[in-house]
Amino acid sequence: MIVLRATWKILTQVARSFGGGLGLIIVLTVLCSAVFAPLIATHDPDRIDVLHRFAAPTLEHIMGTDHLGRDMFSRLVHGSTVAMTVALCAILFALTSGTILGIVAAFLSTRAERPILVLFDVISSFPSLVLALAIVGVFGASTSLVIVVVGITLLPHFGRVARAQVLTLKNAPFLEAERLLGASTMRIIFVHLLPNIAGPLVVLASMDIPLVITIEAGLSFLGLGVRPPLASWGTLIQDGYQFLSQSAVPVTVASVALGVATLGFTLFGEALRDAVDPRLARAH
Amino acid sequence: MRLIPGWHGRIEMTLSPLMQIENLSVDAATERGTAHLLHHVSLDIARGRILGVVGESGSGKSTLASCLLRLLPSNVTRVEGRLIFDGVDLMTLDADAMNAYRGRRIAMIFQDPMTALNPLFTIGTHLIDVLRRRDSGIDRELALATAEAMLTTVGVPDARLRLGAYPHQLSGGMRQRVMIAMALLVEPDLLLADEPTTALDATIEAQIVQLFDELRQRFSGSIVFISHHLGLVAELCDDLCVMYGGTVVETGPVADVVADPRHPYTKALLACEIDPDGDGKLLSIRGDVPDPVNEGGQCVFAPRCGHVIAGCVSNEPPLQAIGEVRRAACIRAHEILP
Amino acid sequence: MGITAETARYLASRLVTSIIIVFGAMLLLFTLSALVPGDPAVTLLGPQATPELAAHFIREMGLDQPLHIRLWRFFSNVLTGNLGQDVLSGRYVTGMVGAVLPSTIILTFMAIFLAVLFGVPLGCFAATHRGSFFDHVLAILSVTFIAIPSFVVAIFLLLVFAIWLDWLPVLGTSGTGSFADEAKRMILPTIALAIGWIGFIARLVRSSMLEILGENHIRTMRAYGLPERLIVYKYALKNACIPIIAILGLGIGRLLGGAVLVEIVFSRPGLGRLVYDAIAARNYPVLQGSVLVVVLLFVVTNLLVDLSYSAIDPRIRRRAEREGMPK
Repeated sequence: MIVLRATWKILTQVARSFGGGLGLIIVLTVLCSAVFAPLIATHDPDRIDVLHRFAAPTLEHIMGTDHLGRDMFSRLVHGSTVAMTVALCAILFALTSGTILGIVAAFLSTRAERPILVLFDVISSFPSLVLALAIVGVFGASTSLVIVVVGITLLPHFGRVARAQVLTLKNAPFLEAERLLGASTMRIIFVHLLPNIAGPLVVLASMDIPLVITIEAGLSFLGLGVRPPLASWGTLIQDGYQFLSQSAVPVTVASVALGVATLGFTLFGEALRDAVDPRLARAH
Repeated sequence: MRLIPGWHGRIEMTLSPLMQIENLSVDAATERGTAHLLHHVSLDIARGRILGVVGESGSGKSTLASCLLRLLPSNVTRVEGRLIFDGVDLMTLDADAMNAYRGRRIAMIFQDPMTALNPLFTIGTHLIDVLRRRDSGIDRELALATAEAMLTTVGVPDARLRLGAYPHQLSGGMRQRVMIAMALLVEPDLLLADEPTTALDATIEAQIVQLFDELRQRFSGSIVFISHHLGLVAELCDDLCVMYGGTVVETGPVADVVADPRHPYTKALLACEIDPDGDGKLLSIRGDVPDPVNEGGQCVFAPRCGHVIAGCVSNEPPLQAIGEVRRAACIRAHEILP
Repeated sequence: MGITAETARYLASRLVTSIIIVFGAMLLLFTLSALVPGDPAVTLLGPQATPELAAHFIREMGLDQPLHIRLWRFFSNVLTGNLGQDVLSGRYVTGMVGAVLPSTIILTFMAIFLAVLFGVPLGCFAATHRGSFFDHVLAILSVTFIAIPSFVVAIFLLLVFAIWLDWLPVLGTSGTGSFADEAKRMILPTIALAIGWIGFIARLVRSSMLEILGENHIRTMRAYGLPERLIVYKYALKNACIPIIAILGLGIGRLLGGAVLVEIVFSRPGLGRLVYDAIAARNYPVLQGSVLVVVLLFVVTNLLVDLSYSAIDPRIRRRAEREGMPK
């Protein structure tokens, strides 16, 4: 109940600014279309209709059709399901493993935490897209691999923030008191630390979503992301790009959709950051 | 021993003051409402003399200093009054005309020498740019030599070497000497020193005060020395201005004011400085510094004053003359004190 | 300023971390190649390969050796500058990477140059004209530029300039080697890569400029009546630039990743193209070698950034020591 109310309060605060409101609308639209894709899509996204290839937008196909005559709008809607699934899974993976590693590091001695920090350094020293390329190149493209790879590349983000947050909180008087009262480390972590560090981590997660969408779309654009019959926005852009000489409509529609989605998530993430932690807010 | 109280010199007293502050009021927007940082402040800065401005933190003395340069924080909503500097009301000047006074006729030394210099530029760069401000055509070698000489004057050893140093390579005391050198390079008519020793250790503080004392010999302009330390001001300055809650409560020649305070707050402040019983007990003034958000309408010191009468809370006491050169903002200035 | 013991110690510790990172990357790449699913000979040569050919190939590649020998050989080869051989053509990977590296580096650095060239003045102007119409427009534009992936920007640019307007020759390199033609073909890829960074740097400069302009040392300069232009563009700008250098260092990885995609959109030869073709052909040594070069590039840039960082801000060494290793 308290969590719901706090969430509502923060969301209303996010919606108050122009950018935040716009971001919230886009995010909600994308999420809705991802969840209710079968209900929203006007056509079967995979139904091939060779007679109507590269159809311009009409009432029947509001965003036209692609090189196989498939309905672009329905493909975009179903593409949002792919994008959201990959993004949320990857973020969840990075968030959990990063937070655990970060908290562990914070509780270890300086010497013992060194390997964890070096691991973070090594992972972040790989440009995420290039690391993803290397791994996908070896194991072949697959959706779950994309999730794991992107999750790993984002892991240090969460690990570092979790560690820094815990370090500042660890010696706070209220935890000192709790420890004197005989609370176990587990209790301290779950009851006191996690709720206190959750804010910045959630903000980080929401700010990383556009990054994940971009990497997934980029990989799929290269044909190294999700496999057919699944089609992400990156796949749609690639399909359109291949047939650019015959029609610019599919590639334009798909690129605009991807651009708007990443913009929306970025706006939302920034507004959320400003709402959760005003200290981090840019001087506006 | 002075034979005639209030008589300090012949020439200075006959000239008009270098600066006359008349009815200066400054308001600022805060989270809790409008704060009255300065409230009808009137003050004269005499030529060639050192004016000490004393008060607790929050009494408005630093605001007063920034106000004289018209460099106020962005939350200031209202500035009223007149700042007559050598016959010109600074308040009426446009931005460019005002800027012509800064770093030419008025120079300022700030409270915290640790942050007053840009960490990414050498001492030399700072000083040369300030010199170029006065004389844009000055040759770099000449500027360096001038800066070096000035650093030596203010007691910075190895001055040539220091010119190439970054601020973080100098101690706090050295940095404050650099700030003083910067101010003197300008050869200003008015030097504003905003708590120049507050951020320093006690021993360094004594050295800087010593430096100011020596400066009197070679510096012909006026100095406004702001401090919360009455003893220090009494030692260094010619004139004294005591501020409280954004108002001036008492002004006059230092020796007279210290010997015979006419405002209960000045008296209380003196009692804090000098322990009369010598038993080491530190006296303090009861009550708190007034809230700048409060509306006026009464004597600002009334809530903490031991001599309050009905007249104190029904009206704001005017700054009334006591003798030739002294003034105090207390309606009972003539009866109860000392 | 000469190099003090403090500086030397800091640089040494940075160097050690960088070396650990490179070794970690090498280990990771080796592990990956050892994990390649299936029989490498079959994967690489195709199912039609004769057993003799496969056996020859495995011997040639040293794949019959035990793992630790292969690891040792890989490391010693890399350390002597040998990144392995292309399994198909037999060409040395080092040479292949060397041939395309300049193109990628030029693209990346042109993008950084463009980003700084436009981002810094825009950010300064927005900071000094805070709340103006320009400031608001820039805020909207920069977040839009930042948010949209560079390969999407690349496609938009391609659509607009090549398809609709037919202005610039866009695809590939000319092959004629004419400088003017090369430069023309660089324009769109550079813009595609740079545009997000222009927005990012503008925002960064604006916010750090606003912060700096409120600091005490700026108040000192104002109190001495120094011209506003001198205060902003000499004194404040240097302070405001420090986060930019750090962020550019951290962002070089993302820039390289973006460069890979932009190269592919515009069919430019480069590291991206090399990696992509290697993946498509399952040419692991080339993949391994080029990814290692990307990591090396990244680590070296970060090291250089750290050095210039401490050259610009003499306090940074102390801060770095106080707060442990910088990112």
